[in-house]
Amino acid sequence: MSRYDTNVILYRLKKDPAFRDRFRSDPSTALAGTDLTEEERQAFMRWDVPRLNELGGMLHLLLSIPGLGH
Amino acid sequence: MGRIVYAAAMSHVLYPDYYGENVGPHGRKMVEELIEVVRDMGRTLAAAAPDALVVVADDHLNVFSFDAVPALCVRVGRSVSRMVQDDAIEFDRALDGLPERYPVHEGLANAILEQGLQAGFDFAASWSAPLDHAFLSPVSTLYGDRPVPPLVPFWVNCFVAPQPTAQRCFAAGRHIARVVADGPWKVAVIATGGLSHFPELSLARVGQSDPVFDRRAVTLMEAGDHAALAALTAKELHDTGSHELLNWLVLLGAVSPARARVRFFGEMGRIDLAALEWDVA
Repeated sequence: MSRYDTNVILYRLKKDPAFRDRFRSDPSTALAGTDLTEEERQAFMRWDVPRLNELGGMLHLLLSIPGLGH
Repeated sequence: MGRIVYAAAMSHVLYPDYYGENVGPHGRKMVEELIEVVRDMGRTLAAAAPDALVVVADDHLNVFSFDAVPALCVRVGRSVSRMVQDDAIEFDRALDGLPERYPVHEGLANAILEQGLQAGFDFAASWSAPLDHAFLSPVSTLYGDRPVPPLVPFWVNCFVAPQPTAQRCFAAGRHIARVVADGPWKVAVIATGGLSHFPELSLARVGQSDPVFDRRAVTLMEAGDHAALAALTAKELHDTGSHELLNWLVLLGAVSPARARVRFFGEMGRIDLAALEWDVA
């Protein structure tokens, strides 16, 4: 489980509007080069918040990313 | 010789819209009642005229990214800014409209940091970390339109495991009390957060609190049984959603052996809300 990478991406989604826009329009490209397991990558692609939380994504980040509800 | 002239702890999402949206009318009403109590506490705090206000609170992964998470961190420097969050949602909106900068009490902040390192506390120092709702929602509610005294923001890592122990947080508070006693200033200390919510930091358990645990914790504070509180384990805090009690442990160390007076206690369901004062004058 790459808990660090999962949370770094969640932190960027909260704090970096340009990255957030890229993720919304093309999540596959936005996540290219990140060190995620396939399961984590798929959870991001589906924006599966419960699964991301189960995989170590911090609850406070998951609840507070602008425009990406849970 | 310095002294602590006021001490209190309180829940820190003092934002009726948040509970209105996420809990409903009874949540909104409960936090509005709490806000009135905190405003009244603010009158006592302002009358104590502290030279500095130490605020012990946590970061909600707004300030310290996963690149480095300090266990305990003292904010130093001359001033501190409010966190800015574009398109803020939910509790981050509580910061909207607040002043953008606040003074830092450099003398006390540096003393807590420098004497802490001498005493064996490996505190982190930050010259740039901004403040989120955990600091500014209580401060702005306490002070209203009155001028806010110079702050000493003190962060506790409440959420990113492994956290500092309850015992270590209590010891950090004892250190703050020693620094205040040795210094020339009148100091107020508040801790924020809680009570129980978000057990296990699990999305599946959002909406649950642990009133039995919270009643026990508050009763121990009223009795001044700080040893029992400092003995709480990381598992107990995590399972009950009492992560932010670590902030309160720092305050307890600062005021020990004083006993708490409960100004507000409410069981909302999603969270239990509280505001307590300690007789330190």
